[in-house]
Amino acid sequence: MDNSIEKRLHNLRERLSYITDVFAGKHSDSTVMLEERLTFFAGRAMSGASENAYAELATVEDLFAHVERRLDKTLSPMDKVRIVRHPQRFCLRDILENVYDNFTEVGGQDEHSLDPGMLIARAVITRSRGKKKYMQSIMVIGQEKGHGAEYRNGGSVKPWGNAKALQYMNVAETEGIPIHTYIFTPGSYPVEDYPGAAQQIAKNIYNMAGLSVPIVAVVSEGGSGGAEAIGLADKRLMLSHGYYSVISPEGAAAIEGRLKNGERASPELIEHCAAHLKIQAEDNLRFGYVDKIIQEPPLGARPWHFDFFRSLRQDVIRATDEVVISTRKMPVLRGLALARHRNPETDIDGLYIRWGLSGAAKARLVHRRQQKFLRLSRQAARDRRPFLTKTATTFLDWISKPWVSFKYDFYHKHQRQISTLMEEINNEIDMIKYRLLSPWRKLRCRLPGRQDDKAQELTTLSTWEESGRSRKWNYLSPRYKIDRTLTCPNSESYGCLDLWGPDLFAEFAGVCSHCGYHFPMEPEWYVHNVFDAGSIIEFNSEIEAGNPLDFPDFSDKITAAKEKARAKSGCMTFEARIDNIKMVVAMLMGTFRGGSVGAAEGYKFVEAAARAAKKRYPFLAYVHGTAGIRIQEGTHGVIQMPRCTVAVRRYIEAGGLYMVLYDTNSFAGPVASFLGCSPYQFAVRSSNIGFAGPGVIKETTGMDIPPKYHRSYRALSRGHIQGIWDRRQIRPNIKQALLTIGGRNLYYR
Amino acid sequence: MSTTQSDDTLRKHKILVANRGEIAIRIMRACKKLGIPYTAVYTAEDAASGHVRLARAEGGEKSLFRVSSYHDANELMCVADDASCTAVHPGYGFFAEDFRFARRVAKRDRKMIFIGPSWKIIRELGDKINTKRLARSLEVPTVPGSDRPIYDEMEAERIAKTIFEFQQQQGIRHPLVLVKASAGGGGMGIEEVYDPDQFRSVYRRVRNYALRQFKDEGVLIEQRIMDFNHLEVQIVSDRTGKNPVHFGTRNCSIQSTGLQKRIEVAPGFTPEVINYSFDAQKVLDDIVAYSLKMARSVGYDNVGTWEWIVTRQGAPYLMEVNTRIQVENGVSARIAKIRGQDGVDLIAEQIRTGLGEHLGYTQDDISFEGVSIEYRLIAEDPENNFTPWVGQIECFEWEKAPWLTMLTHVPERLPYEIPTEFDPNLALAIVYGKDIRQTRERGIAFLDSLCLTGKDNRGNGLKSNEAFLKANTERILHF
Repeated sequence: MDNSIEKRLHNLRERLSYITDVFAGKHSDSTVMLEERLTFFAGRAMSGASENAYAELATVEDLFAHVERRLDKTLSPMDKVRIVRHPQRFCLRDILENVYDNFTEVGGQDEHSLDPGMLIARAVITRSRGKKKYMQSIMVIGQEKGHGAEYRNGGSVKPWGNAKALQYMNVAETEGIPIHTYIFTPGSYPVEDYPGAAQQIAKNIYNMAGLSVPIVAVVSEGGSGGAEAIGLADKRLMLSHGYYSVISPEGAAAIEGRLKNGERASPELIEHCAAHLKIQAEDNLRFGYVDKIIQEPPLGARPWHFDFFRSLRQDVIRATDEVVISTRKMPVLRGLALARHRNPETDIDGLYIRWGLSGAAKARLVHRRQQKFLRLSRQAARDRRPFLTKTATTFLDWISKPWVSFKYDFYHKHQRQISTLMEEINNEIDMIKYRLLSPWRKLRCRLPGRQDDKAQELTTLSTWEESGRSRKWNYLSPRYKIDRTLTCPNSESYGCLDLWGPDLFAEFAGVCSHCGYHFPMEPEWYVHNVFDAGSIIEFNSEIEAGNPLDFPDFSDKITAAKEKARAKSGCMTFEARIDNIKMVVAMLMGTFRGGSVGAAEGYKFVEAAARAAKKRYPFLAYVHGTAGIRIQEGTHGVIQMPRCTVAVRRYIEAGGLYMVLYDTNSFAGPVASFLGCSPYQFAVRSSNIGFAGPGVIKETTGMDIPPKYHRSYRALSRGHIQGIWDRRQIRPNIKQALLTIGGRNLYYR
Repeated sequence: MSTTQSDDTLRKHKILVANRGEIAIRIMRACKKLGIPYTAVYTAEDAASGHVRLARAEGGEKSLFRVSSYHDANELMCVADDASCTAVHPGYGFFAEDFRFARRVAKRDRKMIFIGPSWKIIRELGDKINTKRLARSLEVPTVPGSDRPIYDEMEAERIAKTIFEFQQQQGIRHPLVLVKASAGGGGMGIEEVYDPDQFRSVYRRVRNYALRQFKDEGVLIEQRIMDFNHLEVQIVSDRTGKNPVHFGTRNCSIQSTGLQKRIEVAPGFTPEVINYSFDAQKVLDDIVAYSLKMARSVGYDNVGTWEWIVTRQGAPYLMEVNTRIQVENGVSARIAKIRGQDGVDLIAEQIRTGLGEHLGYTQDDISFEGVSIEYRLIAEDPENNFTPWVGQIECFEWEKAPWLTMLTHVPERLPYEIPTEFDPNLALAIVYGKDIRQTRERGIAFLDSLCLTGKDNRGNGLKSNEAFLKANTERILHF
């Protein structure tokens, strides 16, 4: 038996074990059959009984291919998860070697580089038109799972790995070359060491929302936050056997099954969750969260599928070209070029498109990318506004745009000049009055009875508007009616006496009078005690959270949450005033399914940011509590991360002031995107801020975290938040912040 | 006493004596006199205290509960529930002026009576700005200055300037202005300004301190009065709050360097014996009238004390209202007579009216006779800034006399370890005489007869304020 047969046999054995692994016990008849045929052939070949070993081997290989094609049609979502996790699946280095013509790795080769899980490479593609050769540079960024290399950490990138990715995205922007990102991650590594998992992802998303070079993302394993950290792209391609999900099926099962520490979810439950989270490529294409599916060979591509890499190369170059072409100004030329490119017969390598962009094209590129994300996922929220209201709102928006821009961009500038003039005139009048009246004043000074003025001022009652000191709070938590005592969690260490409920929840505003520990309060408390009484105007309250994936049993849970929280979604958006300074507030309420963010919440948040931008109001995101993205909405939820971040970025760049205030517990997706990207973030004392809770950290990293790992002061010390506020001081602090910080376009500037 | 109404309704009650030491003893005696059962509490350090021995002797072991701290309201509530008490007497200190405690007692599911003013009155009069504004609205004189927190630097400067000029007009040679954090208390965040040019820096310092410490940068700006006498008016009222009466005035001007009272005298001035540079009788009448006016206006419904300062010019200014029974209530009681009968017990009156009985007499039924002094015997070193002395008392004896009332929780002739956790008050000695001369002589005689010795753990002898009291006895009521 010669060497090449031995090699091909080995290859077939690998394929067999791959099939066995992927189906995890299903289709055992096929695998048994294949194994029998393989052993039979191997025995024959070994003993030399086979006359034409090559021909026989070819039949076996054909049989394998046939079985693989047949099994490919039966793949379940969980099977696909097993495919992308299999060590035989190709990884980023295979792509670099097979898709690009040459490359240099920028760090990441061995365990001594900064987070080898994140791989950066400068790659080139050579294209030819006629005899002329063109070299085009690309910045390739992606997670490297590394065929089981321990130090790659399975593609689970640490915060500094994401920071590295961001750094080289900025390099690419400076150099004006496109970025290709390859997403091979089960999720980000949830440690809070500097720069902090959530915070770094938020920075990445925020920056990608405004990066002025074409970005193409390819998703193989798209696990939530880790995927979003490099996933905000102009074109998102997805591999047919990949998955893109808000959470791993195991994590979803743990949440669905309400598992405690150390318990394991049953395989059936995991399968069930994988099936209902809609994590496959076709689902995401249907929702619009990916633009194209790249077909893989049956049962997924492996490093020896060279045809696949060829088609992948065509697709990524085509996608980059399309992004560049779509920034062209002339619609006709753009349409022609796009039509030519989209023709699958076209040999992309034989075309040449310059990838450099002019300044105006860059602006169009960023605008198109932002618009693309803003449009996503609206269908997943139930907008229950009556048709007339919706039309009227749109019409008013349309009408008021020129009015607002006239008011702020034109009138206010000139108003300043007018008021300056008026002040000067007033000063002159005062001067004249002073001169004219001076004889009278002198006369009056000499009159007797002047002493009494002083005594009167110092000893009689003065007027004082704020004399209603007895009622400190406009709203009291209903818990104050219950006669009971509560133990402060710090009583062990600080010796706090037990607190009497009626004192604690009314006068003390839920703050331990001894150590200052903040007990959680209801969202209503903030709404009524932070803002001016009667100044709250809620809008978009009809937008309802639903069950867009028809996740089993979830509709009932959402209905129950709506009744319990007396709200239609976990996000309340309203206009309010503090001492007559108007602002737009989006409040994530921890009382509505833990404050998780789904399509409806994202929709309302984006609308609120747009309203603030239009009206030139400051925008406050008040996080009463958020447990992360609502997993039962799958990618409808996770897409809110880039989407809301884009909205926030547009608002900030329009010159607004975006402030975030965290309370109680704020975790995961929202913190790692549209909340964490704010330049001004504050926390209420005793709040917890982080990327993943202690249970998840234990589960994914195997580490026990120190106590108080997520306390706000830790977030302060790593620079995530800019200050910690006392709950009773929120109102004056916000007012102070409004008057002292913020963008140039605010109405009161 | 004039407890003519049904004593049976009183006897249905049971009082939790939520205090320690001398005042606990006085409350228990008053309860016994009224026939009301009571429950006492003590901490581990206080196990040898007189109030524990008295409670044990009177009510047995069942009437005693050990608590971990007198400051823990939760424990006191548990004790009250366990002993099925219907009322709580806070004494002075601890919870006496804590409106939250009073509110909790009155509003919890098993409601009890707080023997003291209602919690709303405690809250209203416990706030010094509120008290000052209330006084001004009733045209009661208060210390010249602002009556609301000042947040604006320009306004603050203007007020300070006016106060300086006002004092100069009055002929005060060294005008002083006081800047206080309006949210402060207990002497924190108070500074003096003697020079108008210094005001701004002091103001900013106090404002920043207040912002840091109390989260509120409002300040009060007042005239600093240096040369004054400290007078008090004792008010008693029942739960109707409609007809408060007064039990005369007291003079508490002899104080330690830390402004803690050491000698109290009733009445406040004796214009018939001593010459004053102003019309002392008018001052006494005025402050009594003002105090009653305020008490009537707020509907004051228990015992309380209006504290006044009287300047050398004879101008009275209301300082604050103490919404509780005071240490020195005994001197006022000693010189008072109700319908000609002496033996007035203000604590018994407080309990009786607190539990809902009517006063039963009017101002016309109250008369005063004689002069009474109260000495506060304290183990401390007057030479060394009144530093408290800690150690064991070996001998504590004095000559008994009919004109002398001794209130103490310290056992006679038994060794007694002074607990370090509480204030070092050992005893109150109330001396009575028909006029000031006789009272003074008797006071000196009492102090001469007193034997108070002890040793600390290094073998040094006991230090007390005996000599300080004796030296100051000559000075009383002079201004």
